[in-house]
Amino acid sequence: MKDFRAPGESEAAKRSWQVVRAAYETREPVSWPRRHARPLVAGALVAAAVAAVLSPQGRSVVHSLRKAVGVEHAQTSLFSLPAHGRLLVTGRGGTWIVRADGSRRRLGDYQDAAWSPHGIFVAATHGNELVALNQHGDVRWTLARRAPRFPAWTGTRTDTRIAYLSGGRLRVVAGDGTGDYEVGPAALVAPAWRHGRGRLLAYARPARVIVYSVDARASFLVKRFQGARKLEWSDDGRLLLVVGPRGVRVFGLQGVLFSEDHPPTGSVDVDAAFVPGSHRVVVIRATGSASKVELLNARRNLFSGTGVFRQLVYSPDGRWLLISWPTANQWVFVHSHPRRIVGAARISNQFGAYPRVAFWCCAR
Amino acid sequence: MAGSGRDERAWVRRAQAGSVSDFEALFRAHWGRAYRAAYLVVRDSAAAEDIAQEAFLAAVRSLDRFDRRRPFGPWLHRIVVNRAIDWARARALRPEAEAVDAPAPERPGRDDELLQELERLTPEHRAVIVLRYLLEYTPGEIAELLELPRGTVNSRLRRGLDHLKERLQ
Repeated sequence: MKDFRAPGESEAAKRSWQVVRAAYETREPVSWPRRHARPLVAGALVAAAVAAVLSPQGRSVVHSLRKAVGVEHAQTSLFSLPAHGRLLVTGRGGTWIVRADGSRRRLGDYQDAAWSPHGIFVAATHGNELVALNQHGDVRWTLARRAPRFPAWTGTRTDTRIAYLSGGRLRVVAGDGTGDYEVGPAALVAPAWRHGRGRLLAYARPARVIVYSVDARASFLVKRFQGARKLEWSDDGRLLLVVGPRGVRVFGLQGVLFSEDHPPTGSVDVDAAFVPGSHRVVVIRATGSASKVELLNARRNLFSGTGVFRQLVYSPDGRWLLISWPTANQWVFVHSHPRRIVGAARISNQFGAYPRVAFWCCAR
Repeated sequence: MAGSGRDERAWVRRAQAGSVSDFEALFRAHWGRAYRAAYLVVRDSAAAEDIAQEAFLAAVRSLDRFDRRRPFGPWLHRIVVNRAIDWARARALRPEAEAVDAPAPERPGRDDELLQELERLTPEHRAVIVLRYLLEYTPGEIAELLELPRGTVNSRLRRGLDHLKERLQ
């Protein structure tokens, strides 16, 4: 058995070295003081969180923690966005567009919503209807389908497609509401269009992630993956990020694992996103009563706080990261270089309920 | 082939400091055995590639915390073999799904019979045989790697070998 050689060994080595080398080169070596200081800081944060929960005096600890991360000075409302573009948010309080100057328009009572590729229209779901709206909330067309969810819109100015889920199946319809057809069974996870040429769509089944070519009407890639919760493509369309119950994985177009993150016991990866224009990934990791946002493989903490962070959404220019923080009823906007943190408080009061951010669209 | 203990410690030290060439030396020294071990347990070359690759990615993530006084190989093989056992168990639980998605296992050019018989063993038995006869760990080291009592390792080895002997005679 010592002399045994497995089939495909050298080709597998070449492919894997590319992946492993990329992961090695994007890691950030940890200096000695940082390596040893981290457990002390983590211990102090955990102690602070426990104190906050156990004693009335602990409130001042939470206060000081918030002060330390910069959101003590959160605006009392969302007066403006820190970057250009428009947010599309949706929740029990309805679907809203938020402009950079802070003005808001309520589109109606929709469950899920997505921008069209150039941010001109919105696809939304409501009861047993898929609906296309303009930015004033006027309905352009509707399509009656059983309990549609998670519309995702892609395409050019003249040819677009909307993928959505209905009755446990993935379906695709043209941007004008015509030519609707079924792709196949799908799990209740938002499908994700690949950026760039070629209409490739990633969607989930209970134990699979599938990349489907809409033009060829055939599966391009089938990858085993249990319980995917989120799918996202990198800007260059070369990598697919999948968030699941056991952490985050990033696959190449051929299905080769590019990088992965298994959170330690007792922690869970809540959400993750590509840093715009790169293959780096930021992740929300929740551990007990604390959450943090960090850069994978670099172990760089971007932001941490008490309670639950729910979502990560980058601004269209890629410079600001919105962290959705329902425990604090805030949105926190983090700018990495130079480091700036802007908070907006009382989010649920402004939208009727704490909303989910569907997308931050369009540079101008 | 893995380098000497001194080579390996130097590779790990310099890889921790950011040397790609030393990290590559570590990869080249250990890839083959990691991939073969995974393949012999899962008998699927795509899965073996994923498993060996995941083990190296885990190594990248843990590199800064890695204790240079410890040998790298056993640490890597522990990850490989445990993930391979998990994968093989999961496949056994959903054979229909695998029939659709997994490519047919590739057959090596020689020792076909031995490999076919090895496949009839449970993943746990296959793993101890691979650790003992491919990676050449002692039963005591295998017990430590798989966190099993030494007696369990010995009995799995015995049963596995008895099965192979009986079938190959």
